[in-house]
Amino acid sequence: MIDRRAWLPFSVVAAAMVIAWQAGVVSMRQQALVPYPVGVVEAAVRTVKDGSLLTATANSLVRVLVGFGIGALFGIPLGVVMGFVRPVGRALGPIVDSLRSIAPIAWIPMALLWLGIRGNAALFIVAYAAFFPFVINAAQGARLIDRNLVNAARALGAGRALVLRAVVLPSALPAILAGARISMAFAWGSIIAAELAMGIKVTSGTSGAVGLGQLMVSTLYVRRDVNALVLYMIVIGVISLFIDLAMRRLQRSLTPWGHS
Amino acid sequence: MKDGTPTAAAPRIDVPVAITAARVLRLLEVPAALAVVVALWQVVSVAVGNKTLVPPPSLVLTAWVELVHGDLRDDVLASLAHLALGYALGAGTGLALAVLSARFAMLESIVDPFVELLRPISAIAWIPLAILMFGISAKVPVFLIFYAALFPIFVNTVAGVKQVDPQLVRAARALGASPRLILTHVVMPSALPFVLAGARLSLGVAWMAMVAAELTGSDAGLGWRLFWYQEFFAMNKVMAVILTIGVLGFLLDTLLRGLQARITRWSPDASRDDAR
Repeated sequence: MIDRRAWLPFSVVAAAMVIAWQAGVVSMRQQALVPYPVGVVEAAVRTVKDGSLLTATANSLVRVLVGFGIGALFGIPLGVVMGFVRPVGRALGPIVDSLRSIAPIAWIPMALLWLGIRGNAALFIVAYAAFFPFVINAAQGARLIDRNLVNAARALGAGRALVLRAVVLPSALPAILAGARISMAFAWGSIIAAELAMGIKVTSGTSGAVGLGQLMVSTLYVRRDVNALVLYMIVIGVISLFIDLAMRRLQRSLTPWGHS
Repeated sequence: MKDGTPTAAAPRIDVPVAITAARVLRLLEVPAALAVVVALWQVVSVAVGNKTLVPPPSLVLTAWVELVHGDLRDDVLASLAHLALGYALGAGTGLALAVLSARFAMLESIVDPFVELLRPISAIAWIPLAILMFGISAKVPVFLIFYAALFPIFVNTVAGVKQVDPQLVRAARALGASPRLILTHVVMPSALPFVLAGARLSLGVAWMAMVAAELTGSDAGLGWRLFWYQEFFAMNKVMAVILTIGVLGFLLDTLLRGLQARITRWSPDASRDDAR
């Protein structure tokens, strides 16, 4: 990170830009389609007051958490088995790799068909996005564990299931948590993409619980409020910062010995 | 993040190998797993009994063959054109900013906070604003790819420059090298593995951004084609496009991974994936 004194040039440039931007927009007198700083603040006050911002953010966050949980539920066991049982890892590796290359959002037409427009389709996309970092990292973690530990447990009479649960899983935990951080970032990115695509695709009024993405679409096409769009972008950025911070903290408190 | 262990690089003595049962079995692992996946897919499809809801593999394959001879080529070309332009602009800008930041501390103290502020705002979040700015057109995916590709390569290059052994820099300086010469002949080669890892990360996120942008704000490309076929409920074709996206993404990553391994074979950092 940069030390505090070095923030000075940046603050000066940033402040000058914001002021110049505001002044430019005001002097152009064409405020409909150009966002401007004061307008963004006004939009913030308005959307917080009528509650639409908070509801949408909460809806998106709930979907991310549930999708993340589903991804972990399927991804961690698969990854651990792939890493620990070599033939399984070799056999499934290429398949996982090619499925991973499919951008999660590409599944949206199928997800809409299977799960409908009431938010579950977005959930599928999030779970799909969160699934792969868990698999990859759990597999890596399980692959790199100390075989001596496994052999020791075996020699002491532990069965395969017990070895997996008591030796492999704890050793793979730092890697899994590193994967969780990536998963969470992917999940947050793809929830917005999924909701945007759904919002653009599904124009009927009953589109279930509106998330940030759908809110952005209606702001774009119905209300034409550019300032609110910029506000939502800032909200998305701030939330992803907080998510990353929270995941880092979790990582540190759960695996203080891990250094990955 | 990704599995890039350079196992193939380990020195190996070539002995004439006997064809053993274990070896044959090992060769069969991937095809067997693939067969199981396809069989499962077929079973699910039959169980559901609705060819639109879950198109069976055979139908998807025929759709794919049909598409390869028809529309798909245009879509792939359109997508690759978006990707090439956006990626060249984004990765180029990211790299240039990082190199300039390495050279001019003043610039770094201005650029770096901007990057840290913008980076959390994912490319996806720009889609509505991009649609507003550019209309539904190829500019939306190009802009999105540009934005997505910019940050990973910037961050990695900066990290790569930071880890350069200061002794090397001091040695070069003591021998009379100019700052520019040090940058081009000491700092950049040493940072190259990081740059390439960043380039690969950039391509990955750019690919995702491309699909999302084409789905929502473009009138050509693979992502756009997904919704096009969905309008006709031609779900076997939708599946064929989805698989094409996966295969192409996989090929691109493999290509860059190969390039990375080739160019930086000498480096212990060659297999590292990101600087975080």
